[in-house]
Amino acid sequence: MPVTERPKPSLVPEYCKGCGRCVSVCVKGCIAFDDEINPATGVVPVVIDLEKCNGCGLCIEACPEPYGLRALDQGEDYELQDPAKLYGARLSEAPEPEDIPAQRIPLPACQPLVIKGNYAAALGALLAGCRHVYGYPITPSTEGAELMSKLLPRLDGVFLQAVSEVATVNHMYGTGGAGLPCLTFTSSPGFSLMLEGISYMAGAEVPAVFINIMRGGPGLGNIAPEQSDIKLACRGLGHGNTHAICLTPSTPQEMLDLTILAFELSFKYRHPVILLADGYLGQMTGKVQLPDHMTKPGIPKWAVYGDLAHRKNLINSIYLDEHDLERHNEYLCGKYEAMQAEARAETFLCEDAELIVVACNTPARAAKGAVQELRHQGLKAGLFRPLTVWPFPVEQLKAHLGPGRRLLVVEASAGQLEDELRLALSHAGLPVPPVAHVRRMGGMLPQQDQIVAAATAILA
Amino acid sequence: MSSVFYEKFERHAHGEGLKGQSTHYCAGCGHGLVHKYLAEAIQELGLQDDTVMVSPVGCSVFAYYYFDTGNTQAPHGRAAAVAIGHKMANPKSTVISYQGDGDLASIGLAETVATAQLGVPVTVIFINNAIYGMTGGQMAPTTLMGQSTSTSPDGRKLINGQPIKMAELIAQLDGPVYVERVALYSAVDRKKTKKAIKKALKLQHEGRGYTFVEVLAECPTHLKMTPDKAEQWVKENMTPIFPLGVKKDVVAEPWFHLEAPGFDPGTLLQAVGASATGAERACQGFPTHLHAHDVSLKLAGAGGDGAQTAAMLIATAAINEGFDGTHIPSYGPESRGGTSYADVHVAEEEVLNPASPNPHILLAFNAPSLAKFGGTVASGGTILYDSSVAKAVKPLDSTVKTVGVPFTEIAVGLGKLVVKNIVALGALQAATGLFPKETFLAAIKQALREKANLVPLNEKAFQAGYDAARRAMAARG
Repeated sequence: MPVTERPKPSLVPEYCKGCGRCVSVCVKGCIAFDDEINPATGVVPVVIDLEKCNGCGLCIEACPEPYGLRALDQGEDYELQDPAKLYGARLSEAPEPEDIPAQRIPLPACQPLVIKGNYAAALGALLAGCRHVYGYPITPSTEGAELMSKLLPRLDGVFLQAVSEVATVNHMYGTGGAGLPCLTFTSSPGFSLMLEGISYMAGAEVPAVFINIMRGGPGLGNIAPEQSDIKLACRGLGHGNTHAICLTPSTPQEMLDLTILAFELSFKYRHPVILLADGYLGQMTGKVQLPDHMTKPGIPKWAVYGDLAHRKNLINSIYLDEHDLERHNEYLCGKYEAMQAEARAETFLCEDAELIVVACNTPARAAKGAVQELRHQGLKAGLFRPLTVWPFPVEQLKAHLGPGRRLLVVEASAGQLEDELRLALSHAGLPVPPVAHVRRMGGMLPQQDQIVAAATAILA
Repeated sequence: MSSVFYEKFERHAHGEGLKGQSTHYCAGCGHGLVHKYLAEAIQELGLQDDTVMVSPVGCSVFAYYYFDTGNTQAPHGRAAAVAIGHKMANPKSTVISYQGDGDLASIGLAETVATAQLGVPVTVIFINNAIYGMTGGQMAPTTLMGQSTSTSPDGRKLINGQPIKMAELIAQLDGPVYVERVALYSAVDRKKTKKAIKKALKLQHEGRGYTFVEVLAECPTHLKMTPDKAEQWVKENMTPIFPLGVKKDVVAEPWFHLEAPGFDPGTLLQAVGASATGAERACQGFPTHLHAHDVSLKLAGAGGDGAQTAAMLIATAAINEGFDGTHIPSYGPESRGGTSYADVHVAEEEVLNPASPNPHILLAFNAPSLAKFGGTVASGGTILYDSSVAKAVKPLDSTVKTVGVPFTEIAVGLGKLVVKNIVALGALQAATGLFPKETFLAAIKQALREKANLVPLNEKAFQAGYDAARRAMAARG
């Protein structure tokens, strides 16, 4: 190519920061530092004299600014142009993304399976369309990961054992950000490590499902069942104004059903969802009936999937401008408000109950047994079992409160469930009725006789 | 100007004023150059639509202002882990993890090394400028010895550790196929940088493996130098510690390929072991002679005795009969350490208390289990134990029936010690009448669905246990 046809550089001074990387590279001495401050930028751009320029292009390669020194197109004038008119306002040529909807695939009727709670949650995830599972082994949740590592290759899915829980949650951030359903199994200390990532997910609106098989704490604690993370999941999902729906199953069947629900909700709200179970539920084998359909996920329009259709998208939680970040927080709070509609509870003999036992997870089973026993004794007890601890189903509870009604909170923690209950009553502007409690910790679960004794002391 | 850059940086301060076309980087910063070479490489390779840029925390957190590609902004240090999440979601995408020295070599070291060793094709671009830029000039893991920063005001000393050589470290690992360290301080080096970035992306796109390009870059602001002095500083001070060049370049065949996830219901049901037909029911009713509505059992032994499998078979049998059944194993270090306990419940309607602190039936496979749980059995309950290995303990409660059956001897006689637990189930059936024999046998057959040749042996074991228990009870009168 003749020298004269090589493109010469052009510079809009407004886009030059005057770093001078181009100055030293020009062997012809065409570019020089100046001493005149550009009034638009407050910095001193370089000045170019193209008389000796041979179009070597080295200055263009040396300029760190995308819109700094650029090659003039053939025949284009290098005279100064109006910056406002020089470049378009167009953000991208990529198309507007559209939702690829999920599909519902019918399943034939099957006999009930006899499986562990961890397995049931894993099957729930597979039925919900999850084919990406990341995790770090931690007792008592590990069977979930083990089963996934066996089943996912048969379904052309991915199980990846991560280097840590921190890596796990960030693998999920990537896959969830790509718009696909993903899951992890973890337990309390591992969940602690994931909280930073969950905060990012809340901020960047990334869906994902966390199965937390809670164990005894604090610290290394032990591997026995505890409801040790209700506080963490309801009030402490990392930094910032975060909340997420927290589901609390109490049977292997609910481990499956609520995991499927968790995926639905996480995509409905574009938000992480936590399933809180205790060590017993993860390990317990029981009867599990499969649903009548499974889901083949689509790709939502907001996803960063890595193709033309989604090229415009951004997964991000940084808002440098204070007004922008406040608006974003208000938007997130709006989502949290909308999530209140997802509060769920099951009641048992609450209609005429003078004492309502409040319990979730495995303690709710013993509580139900206790309520039956109390009824046999002629005492009016009922069970209120939250299926979501955040949002707390206060509206459902409200229906059973009234004069002379008392509450007995049964839990395997130092009052974490009771705190949620009290906070929910307070926010709802409801008077707090007399509240008694049965609390066990360290891997000990409240036993039926203990609950009966506590209830009898109140009612008799 | 590469078309991989947006025509207007709408995300940069809403694209207002000059910010719509200029970067947020300081004058002379190396990031802008690397952005340019990356954009050109993406364009030349035709990868714009498939690319996902993962930007880190650090000065390049705003890479998504500029690149007209898919963009994700990652938590500090975790860009490579996020990149893996993207690559697994769409194996055809080109994923770039763009990170600075604090992000990659300090807080994210575990993710950096793990991702490199994993070897899944993603490209990591590592900007090493020997300082923390965004937080304001603090010591980086790559800060040079003696270099003064705001957190090493007297210069980096041995107590601060020495600068970490990432390209060399990464090159030691098995996953990477291409690792090179390049620089920006001369026209020749800039060309090499662009070439290295392009090569790294190409190797990823071809599915050959993980690629890593470390770029020695200038931070004139925090070096407190003019850009030309900063270039000179990098050349004279950084390159002796961080020598330029290819650190690893192996000929690797394309290997990375993932099938699209499968959603065939038949495959899924088969994988999870679900079937349309269940075992036939044989029970006439709930075993109320043991408890009105909830029979509690404990199975205890050493690891390998098969207590958990036997427990599982009882729960399965219960559920096959339309009752509720639960099984909770002892788990964790306890179970790894040799002892293995299982709590089982069979309830007419619903198991409410799945633990068995006071079981109606104890099945003990060894002496310590018998000693530990013998006294917990409820009044009127039954203890079954392996009389081959344990001597009977006298239960505290005289209403408790104790039956010793030589599980081990019988199993050894059948030629397979592992059927000891099935012998025990046969004995349990004979001693308690929990379920009809057919119910147990159906559950055993179900469990051996994929090993049908073992069914006759197991049936024999069950019968032998049953007969032995009958004999033992008859002998005792």
